[in-house]
Amino acid sequence: MKFSKSALFIALASVSMASAAQTNQNSLGKNINISSIINGNYQSAEKALSEREKGFSIGGSELAISGFIDDSLYGKFTTVLHEHDGDMEVEVEEAFIQTMSLPAGFSLRGGRFLSNIGYLNNQHTHTDAFADRPAVYRALLGDHYFDDGLRLDYLAPTDVYWAMGVEAFKGNKFRAENDEVKPKSTGVYTAYTKIGDDIGESSSWQLGFSYINNQNGLTALEHHEEEHDHDHEDEKEHAHEAEGEHGHEDAHGHSHAAKFTGKHIYGVDAVYKWAPKGNYKYQHLTLTGEYFKATDLFSAEEHQDEVDDLSHNGWYVSSVYQFSPNWSAGLRYGEVTVQEAHEDHADEMKLKESEFQVSYHTSHFSTIRLQYSHQDGTGELKPVDENSVTLQFIVALGAHGAHQF
Amino acid sequence: MVRISSKLLLVTLLCFGSVQSAVAKLNVFACEPEYKALMNELAPNAKVYSATTAMQDPHMIQARPSLIAKLRRADLLVCAGAELEVGWLPMLQMKAANSAVRNANTGLFFGTDHIETLDKLDKVDRSMGDVHAQGNPHIQFDPYRLLQVADALHQRLIKLDPEHQTEYQQNFANFKQRWTQAIKGWEKKAAPLKGKQVIAYHSTFRYLFNWLRIKQVGDLEPKPGLPPSSSHLASLLSLSNKEHVSAIVITSYQDSKGGQWLSKKTDIPFLQLPATVGADNTQDLFQLYDTVIVKLNGAIQ
Repeated sequence: MKFSKSALFIALASVSMASAAQTNQNSLGKNINISSIINGNYQSAEKALSEREKGFSIGGSELAISGFIDDSLYGKFTTVLHEHDGDMEVEVEEAFIQTMSLPAGFSLRGGRFLSNIGYLNNQHTHTDAFADRPAVYRALLGDHYFDDGLRLDYLAPTDVYWAMGVEAFKGNKFRAENDEVKPKSTGVYTAYTKIGDDIGESSSWQLGFSYINNQNGLTALEHHEEEHDHDHEDEKEHAHEAEGEHGHEDAHGHSHAAKFTGKHIYGVDAVYKWAPKGNYKYQHLTLTGEYFKATDLFSAEEHQDEVDDLSHNGWYVSSVYQFSPNWSAGLRYGEVTVQEAHEDHADEMKLKESEFQVSYHTSHFSTIRLQYSHQDGTGELKPVDENSVTLQFIVALGAHGAHQF
Repeated sequence: MVRISSKLLLVTLLCFGSVQSAVAKLNVFACEPEYKALMNELAPNAKVYSATTAMQDPHMIQARPSLIAKLRRADLLVCAGAELEVGWLPMLQMKAANSAVRNANTGLFFGTDHIETLDKLDKVDRSMGDVHAQGNPHIQFDPYRLLQVADALHQRLIKLDPEHQTEYQQNFANFKQRWTQAIKGWEKKAAPLKGKQVIAYHSTFRYLFNWLRIKQVGDLEPKPGLPPSSSHLASLLSLSNKEHVSAIVITSYQDSKGGQWLSKKTDIPFLQLPATVGADNTQDLFQLYDTVIVKLNGAIQ
């Protein structure tokens, strides 16, 4: 759902002007909330596995409308701006309704929305402490996974927080190159559970487990024909073609397609937050870590046993500390190891990423961030420039929704 | 996997469905300790949980898992409202999947919905800082408004739990009698404070100062929600040279650095008052008011 022009964005903006006067009534009541995020960036070099280009960009800016449709339904519509090669594109990232009055802790969400897998995935990128999602997200989840589908969520009536749910998605973004089987129209199923609680009055934690079943996740490796010499030229051409296509995909990397797929993805995530006496106004610490592993990557008629054990996997850990209401800083380290299909076999590639950021918050509606990144990669994940610096500002206009934990 | 999860759901339902029905007590989620204290007066048998403490700025609370779990099981949500909790309560409500605490006529009770707030604004602009269009939500130190809230809250309790109507009525009558009596005592003790000028942090004590006729001539925050800057502190320093300022007042969850610096420079007494029940070892609303007035009298000569 892409629009080559920013017509929709502008249309939404005028709607926001018109209804801005009517907002600011009862906070939790019937009114519509309009919010906009402006995300301005300058990046000193192109990064491996990153959709953001070198130089200035406003990619990631968004405009959202949300509110209660009636007593039992909530709806949200979010458009996100993408800039690429001078073209501006608007993508609908969220267009969903959610039930608010199902009994016994159940809720249903339908439409297009962010999947509940992992810790970061269902958070909006503008609330991140770093300019980009961790490499493992960019490699395996298409930066952040949102799709058209349905979710059933259940929250247990326990003293300890315990949520669980299942989702079904169209799964086009997770569709692997495979001419041998017809892709399924509902391709992705997920299941997740999250538990969490406080430790004393100063600390809180959450632990999550996720599973993604991708029906279209197997990449077909090419047959290695017996008559080598005969087909060689042809194969080379074919490979070149595929590469060309791949290059094209890269140029449109903002399509949020996962670059590396598998039939199964398993994930575990943990977050720990601390603030003195639980008072988040002045100082607080956030520690986060996630691990993902994708298995059953390839279908290969002759060499199946050779590729059976291959997996993509990656992890990151991050630590962010807010020193004062105005200043925060964070460190993040992450790795991702992927298998890239190459004719009849797969090549392993690896990317290691170390990042450091300092942020200045003029208020809790605006952040100016300076980030240094060091990338160390092999194969196609080798960055042009190992070191890069990103200068970013993120501001929130209008009704600003409450943040998730 | 889908099938496994649905089985898991079923098992969970069976386990906890029975537990829930066995608990007949009213389960109350209070956003701030003053509302928990009020609930303790009106419904001492209810199970009341306070989402925040006196050491936490109620504007800046994380929508953390433990709060979602607590709200999931609540029959009644009691908060200040007027957007005080706008940064976290909507997220809790969204995640708690509990429709009982979303209706402002039944399970959702905002204290400020039942009184006339001070400093309502016709127009709010972010350049004004983090202000509330619906007026100042820090109503815990206005004894008359608090009594109005208690009145409305006991009526709400009757509506939700009509079986215990007489109990709630008696509890409210009892509270009203003791509270009205206490107000007389506090007003007598606080009489010397009338007309005194103070510098304070945020508009946290707006209602207290309004009640006791204390005048807040300066705010340690340059704008609501923003921390004291050095240039702003310098302007307060020159203000305290011009005006007669009797005390610099902040509350239990606010940073004391700026106020202490100013106090040192000016020799004006520095005072940290409890924000709400729980700070300074206060157990209930009566002790809270007692402590605040004793502390003010001690500092302001």
